[in-house]
Amino acid sequence: MKVPTVPSAATRLAPGYTGGMLQLDRITRAYELGGERAGVFGVSLEVPKGCLAVLAGPSGSGKTTLLQLAGLLDAPDEGEVRLAGQAVSALSEKDRCDLRLRRLGFVFQAFNLVPVLSALENVMLPLQLRGVPEAEARPRAEAALARVGLSDRAHHRPSQLSGGQQQRAAIARALAPDPLLVLADEPTASLDHAHGGPLMDLMAELAAERGVTFLVASHDPSVIARAHVVFRLMDGKLIGEERP
Amino acid sequence: MILARLALRNLLRQRRRTALTLMVVVAGFLALSLAGGFMAQTFQGLSDAAIRGGLGHLQVLPPGAMAGDEAQSLEQSLPDGEALAQRLRQDPAVAEVLPRTQFMGLLSSGAKSVAFLGTAVDPVLEPRHMACTEALKNAGKTPAGAGSRWLSADPAVREVILGVGLARTLGATVGSSLTLMSTTRDGALNAVDVEVAGLQDLGLRELNDRFLTVSLATASQLLDAGPARSRLSVVLKRPQDTAREQARIQALLPGTSVKPWFELASFYRQVKLLYFAIFGFMGLVLFLVVLLATANTLLMSVMERVREFGVLRAMGLQPGQLLALLQWEGAFLGLMGSALGLAATLLLRTGLNALHIEMPAPPGTSHGYELDIHFVPVVYAIVALGLQATIQVSALFPGLKAARLRIVEALRHV
Repeated sequence: MKVPTVPSAATRLAPGYTGGMLQLDRITRAYELGGERAGVFGVSLEVPKGCLAVLAGPSGSGKTTLLQLAGLLDAPDEGEVRLAGQAVSALSEKDRCDLRLRRLGFVFQAFNLVPVLSALENVMLPLQLRGVPEAEARPRAEAALARVGLSDRAHHRPSQLSGGQQQRAAIARALAPDPLLVLADEPTASLDHAHGGPLMDLMAELAAERGVTFLVASHDPSVIARAHVVFRLMDGKLIGEERP
Repeated sequence: MILARLALRNLLRQRRRTALTLMVVVAGFLALSLAGGFMAQTFQGLSDAAIRGGLGHLQVLPPGAMAGDEAQSLEQSLPDGEALAQRLRQDPAVAEVLPRTQFMGLLSSGAKSVAFLGTAVDPVLEPRHMACTEALKNAGKTPAGAGSRWLSADPAVREVILGVGLARTLGATVGSSLTLMSTTRDGALNAVDVEVAGLQDLGLRELNDRFLTVSLATASQLLDAGPARSRLSVVLKRPQDTAREQARIQALLPGTSVKPWFELASFYRQVKLLYFAIFGFMGLVLFLVVLLATANTLLMSVMERVREFGVLRAMGLQPGQLLALLQWEGAFLGLMGSALGLAATLLLRTGLNALHIEMPAPPGTSHGYELDIHFVPVVYAIVALGLQATIQVSALFPGLKAARLRIVEALRHV
């Protein structure tokens, strides 16, 4: 099955849009967890374009839920998600898939590289899924790996890379297709302090350098310290917004 | 092609499990292909036996000759069979025409009389095109059949060749004098004294107990047959054209019934049906085993990769593409299994044929045969396609399971 190379109508975002990259408008997503009601409730926020934004809060505060809603991995019960000004909550599953493929990048806590592919092949994967020919995907993936300092490990499998190297490869994978927004869920949680700090520095640099927007869910102070904007969550509600 | 590459890598991820699944596919391929080769040998042997046993490729019969006992008498015959045979010999597609007369009667040694089924043949043409001398050789190994030879070409000589069972019943050996008794075309009783030229082993006990062969000249005297013949056996230059020539010759001879050998060889048809039933059932069981084995492998593989599928879906892979990924994995399993199965089949076939294994006599026949598993590419292709289809079906359920995963749950999966 080949992915169409021409974006569908749903993924054609508003040209010349200058507002926030991501807007969440009175978002509610509730679910049962251990017999209690959990999730996020009536959260509204706006993430500016080209910044490193952090969703901060303790465990169970709704960071990951909000990140999944922003990443179109889940749909809100109420409210609207807008990506570059376009309402995306009501899109079909196919269009949401297409939008994720073309406009979003993901970085996970457990790295989640495909274990049977080398670092280079992992970075090429989203490009090839978009229908980019291998001859074009390879140099783009090599450049992305070079940018995160992994050129010498390009042909290593994930199991042959350290945690920090795997997470850098995951960032390269997220960035290679030139997304509008990269969503990262606790990207430093599986790394020690020596690796976590430089990784966040890299994200901040990339945000400034490429104009890519990063939305990171984390309670790590070293991550929060590097953020351009911090959204504080508690019990599924937004309790504060800081711009350090 | 990225999905195909990913599928191949996934199969190599759990090499031992993939190898075990491949072994099931290879075993299925091997069993079905060898069975197919064995069936081909059997069908070839039976068709040769039917064609060279006297049927030829086509039989020209009087209309309605296949109904009732008249088939064994001249009451229904081709009145001018010899002229018809001569006419057919001019046909460019025909290699030879062998006229035959079939009759019934009593064979007497003086002390004992036994009912027989007789066939009269041309003693010169028959050994050139039919396997009659092989039947003599088989019987020549027995004490009573020692010295067996084919019928004399001299039309004045009155000789008979007896089935080994018929000779045993009468206590006759080569050189014995016997009396053939039958009725002429007009219904009068007639008898001819004959000498036993040889014994024949026709491979079927029932035939050996009743069957005898004489020359057309001897039968003509006994039955007062004149130019009438029961049937004509037609040998074609191109046996593969039998069906087409049957239609053409039937159109040429409207007053007759022209039948291809495979419509008349009932034993051949029965064995073919029996083999198809036995090996068809065996094939069904093997396909089921392959289906379950591959479905199990792919399902286990899906359960181990739930989080990975969640990541792929998060990256934008459509549910249909996950289904396609599992189909690719099934496709590679099938291709590798069939390739290895073919190699194993060819090796084992060569080894088994080199052993010259003597197979026991099939039911209803009197002697065994050497195992010779045929090389049948069409069978290998059918088995490979069947296995491939089975594996693709088996990949559907795991594929659907993967495609229906909720992304947020898959990402949480440990």
